Amino acid sequence: MIVFIHGGVPGVTPYCSGPHIWGSVLQQFSNATTVDVAGQTVDAMTQSVRKAIEGKGRCHLVGHDLGGLIALGLAIEAPQLVSAVTAVASVAASPTGDGVGDFTFAYPPKPLWSRESQRWALERASYSHHHVDGKLLDACVAAAAKQQPMTPETYAEQFVPSLMKAKARFYEVCRSEGIKVPCQVIWGSHDPLATFDHGLWLFRGIAQRQRVAQFHVINRTGSLPFREEPAAFHQVVSAFNGAGVRS
Amino acid sequence: MARLPEGRWLDVDGIRTRYFEAGSGEPVVFIYGGNFGTGDSASSAHTWNLNLAPLSEHVRAITFDKLGQGETDNPKNDDYTMAAVVRHAAAFLRAMKLPPVHLVGHSRGGYAATRVALDNHDLVKSLTVVNSGTLSPGVGTNEVVLAKPPYAAGTRECVRWVYENYSFDPKVVTEEWVDAVMATLALPKYQESVRKIGVEKLGTKLFLPDLAREKRETLQWINEGRLQRPVQVVWGFDDRTAVIDRGIELYNLFAKHERRALFHVFNQSGHFPFREHPERFNALMRRWVESLA
Repeated sequence: MIVFIHGGVPGVTPYCSGPHIWGSVLQQFSNATTVDVAGQTVDAMTQSVRKAIEGKGRCHLVGHDLGGLIALGLAIEAPQLVSAVTAVASVAASPTGDGVGDFTFAYPPKPLWSRESQRWALERASYSHHHVDGKLLDACVAAAAKQQPMTPETYAEQFVPSLMKAKARFYEVCRSEGIKVPCQVIWGSHDPLATFDHGLWLFRGIAQRQRVAQFHVINRTGSLPFREEPAAFHQVVSAFNGAGVRS
Repeated sequence: MARLPEGRWLDVDGIRTRYFEAGSGEPVVFIYGGNFGTGDSASSAHTWNLNLAPLSEHVRAITFDKLGQGETDNPKNDDYTMAAVVRHAAAFLRAMKLPPVHLVGHSRGGYAATRVALDNHDLVKSLTVVNSGTLSPGVGTNEVVLAKPPYAAGTRECVRWVYENYSFDPKVVTEEWVDAVMATLALPKYQESVRKIGVEKLGTKLFLPDLAREKRETLQWINEGRLQRPVQVVWGFDDRTAVIDRGIELYNLFAKHERRALFHVFNQSGHFPFREHPERFNALMRRWVESLA
């Protein structure tokens, strides 16, 4: 089974992510399922996904952005549950470095999480606006009505420290015993939230101790390559899923 | 161990051409690397022996010996040029009466495949370029890595040394691989090409200057957006003869003009990712063809 894990931090990410974010590409997989990520810290979010996949056999986890870091964390913590990991545009997992400020989402139109504000954010996160259709916006608005935004205090006091902790653990394992589950990184060629090098360095990290690690770039896509080039995305995920696994 | 299917012969504009074919469906044609007249190594269709049979379960998989390489005849009138290799490859596709093919080229074969596509758009449905320093702009490092093998040219030890230095894991250089190279080196017509390229100096007088001239034109054409076919660049991360930066540069050239441009990197692989990770390479190729159906 392939389990798709969405990214986004409610109240912080200016569009409202959720299982709906994957869109039509899911229909191209015969064995796809999605999970809802819940919690105020990366650890709590990881446990919510773990609970959802337990008892399903070993799953190929495909995680977008923060969902990618969660998938990598589960591959470290519970490799018996994970057959492979695909981290997609996972800025959350890539090295922070001492980067320059990213202004992509700096001045969202108010009110936050309104239909128009989410349209603005999704278009800015993308290479082209064409995939931002009524169906996606309806789903994002519906999700916004259900999700509880994280308060700035919780974000600063709990979430960010938990993110740094999860990344440190991930890099430590990459450097030492290595991740035992086959992993690949998919990057959008025009991701406004991170550079090509961020993706390549995420791959380099995993590749230190893992023979079968792969890195893929999909052209003319931003932060949501599975929506902008679903055929290419399906090619890369299904090929990794199908090939014999020998880590 | 994967065997190639029984070889067949085809007359391609008077050149007796060896080819191998298996499976049905969308045609995928593989072009290997190297060039005629090298005495310390020698490529042939066997290069693809780990790919052709497994992929033939899903596609019509074809490979052939290039002009002057493997068992195919040497060029007429001593035309030991890449341009002649490209013309022969295109003529082979026409002689096979194939619908537009998914062309896959490795190393020097990546250059040839790209140039076939640029010269003959009607023959090509998509292009896959694998670790091709010949095609990529920038500095090739073959001569840095492979200069003066510590064994006599034409010996098993020399052949093994060359391919081990191309690879990430020396264990992938099997006896079977070395056997195939030795068999090509032993062919009288191959030795003739070694004499032409080496002793008669056609390598430095003809092949390399002609390739340099044509490469300038080829890169200009790519840069102008003339390829106009879906393209993927596949790269072994640890290739010291065509380092990863050269793959990135090549991908960026294609991606400027082609929406369906992809870049794939295989870890712990040298120059031959399809031999170091055959199952994963084959899966990627199969899904590439499906995604373009």
